[in-house]
Amino acid sequence: MRHRTLLAAIVCLWPLDSSAELNVSIATFDPGVPEDYSLHQDLDVFPKIREIESLFLPFVLREALVDAGDWGAVRVVPESDDAAELLITGAIVHSDGEKLAVSLRAVDARGEQWIGASYFTEGNYEDLFRRFVDDLAGIRDSLDDRTLNGIVNLSLMRYSAELVPDAFSEYFEQLPEGGHRLVRLPAEDDPMMARVHRVRSVEFVMTDAIDEKYRELHEEVDSVYEIWREYRRWYADFKVREANRNELRESNAARGSYEQLRSVYDNYRMDRLAAQEQDKWIVGFNNEIAPVIERMDERIAEMNGWVEDGYVEWTRILGELFDIESGLD
Amino acid sequence: MTHRITAILAILLLGACAAPGPVLDTTNPSFVGDMPVDFSGSWERDYSRGDDVRGTLNSIFRAQQRQNQQQSQFPGGPRATPSLSPRDGNALVALARLVDEITRPDVLTITQNDFEIRVARKDDFDLSCSFFDGVAQGTDSAYGTEVCSWDGESLISHLVLPGGLTITSRFTMSADGNYLRVITTAKSSATRTPFTQHRYYIRFEAPPNAFNCIETLSMKRVCSTGEVAP
Repeated sequence: MRHRTLLAAIVCLWPLDSSAELNVSIATFDPGVPEDYSLHQDLDVFPKIREIESLFLPFVLREALVDAGDWGAVRVVPESDDAAELLITGAIVHSDGEKLAVSLRAVDARGEQWIGASYFTEGNYEDLFRRFVDDLAGIRDSLDDRTLNGIVNLSLMRYSAELVPDAFSEYFEQLPEGGHRLVRLPAEDDPMMARVHRVRSVEFVMTDAIDEKYRELHEEVDSVYEIWREYRRWYADFKVREANRNELRESNAARGSYEQLRSVYDNYRMDRLAAQEQDKWIVGFNNEIAPVIERMDERIAEMNGWVEDGYVEWTRILGELFDIESGLD
Repeated sequence: MTHRITAILAILLLGACAAPGPVLDTTNPSFVGDMPVDFSGSWERDYSRGDDVRGTLNSIFRAQQRQNQQQSQFPGGPRATPSLSPRDGNALVALARLVDEITRPDVLTITQNDFEIRVARKDDFDLSCSFFDGVAQGTDSAYGTEVCSWDGESLISHLVLPGGLTITSRFTMSADGNYLRVITTAKSSATRTPFTQHRYYIRFEAPPNAFNCIETLSMKRVCSTGEVAP
């Protein structure tokens, strides 16, 4: 799988003449945790678990895209990149271990939105993402090769313009209604373009290394996350059973009797004990996963720092080269 | 849920103005700055002090008896409180039994940080009080509502349960921080008379745990004599 991704990354460094396999960037999801703490209980939001899910679920989507087989390089990235050929962003709307609802949006380099919808599942999370991938493929298949190649080329021009604005900002234009349009392409033997390709290839290697970190996270979290989901299913079932049991018990005791008072108190007591047990599970989840995420964050920060430092340097060097070659100096 | 808890606070506040007997003072549900008192620590029951359920019930019934006698001796005089019917009496005994049972744990372990106080009791749920920006955040479910407030330096936990049962616990620490008084008042819609019980606790140093433990999901509780890392 990794070899295929790397191969796809290398192949996709250059604009494609034939049918284009779009590269896809998946930004880590918005955990969807409301700032108002008092809403967490009502909405069944567990902030720490959501943070983990926001890093973990994009990889499940990535796998669904890779399994579909007709996409270019698919990468999970820490931040959105508007110039990506196809950028997918997501926000967790609901996740309680049993049910999952994710709002997903796919936008191409032109700024055209392919999909902006919420997906819901009560079963396998993979199914949710497979449905999204099917919808995505449907839209892609409705576009002709010229449009798809145009997206690839526009993405490359936008990337190039970020590196060397003076050399590339005229190859596309920003539309008044929003979005971008490709105007023309540089010559095939443009030396600056060749340099941009080299820079981009280095950046892709780093992006793939970062993507690899999300894969590792997925591997480490997957089994623990399954235990959490199993527990949540049990908890939901327990709540239903408790509600039924309490209904039967309450109806038997005389009002104001000790049995009635004890029953009312015990119902609350059992509910709180179960909720407090759940809190322990959340702490346990976090205890187990937090060090993994900490290690991953450190590594990604290092790699991002390296890319950003390099980026500043590349921009400077390429800018100077452009000035020399265009005779502006 | 927030609205429901606010409504409950308001009802308790109105109740405090109107009801005779122990007052549920919720006049200060929020606070500014640090929590007024730090209760954290281990507390064990002081059996030399506090109410005996039977004694408390007897004094309520004796007071009722005295009042009945006065009314029979001086008919037409002002009535302080309506007399306790046998049904009321049974409901009061039921309340007393419940309060006695739920205040039975010998040890309270209180943990407190900037925004939460948790009172752990053996064989029962932890009483939990959360405050965000000084405003109490309750817990709410189909089985009841729990909300806290401060009354000066006393922490008050209100538990409102279905069928008109309310249980209020007022925690007050002595000035030297060595003693804790917990006044528990239960009310039921089946009787006009609430039942109140005083319990006292002494601070003690819990022996340090020989093991360092952490909770994990895949391995449950993991303990070690050294540092524990998942």
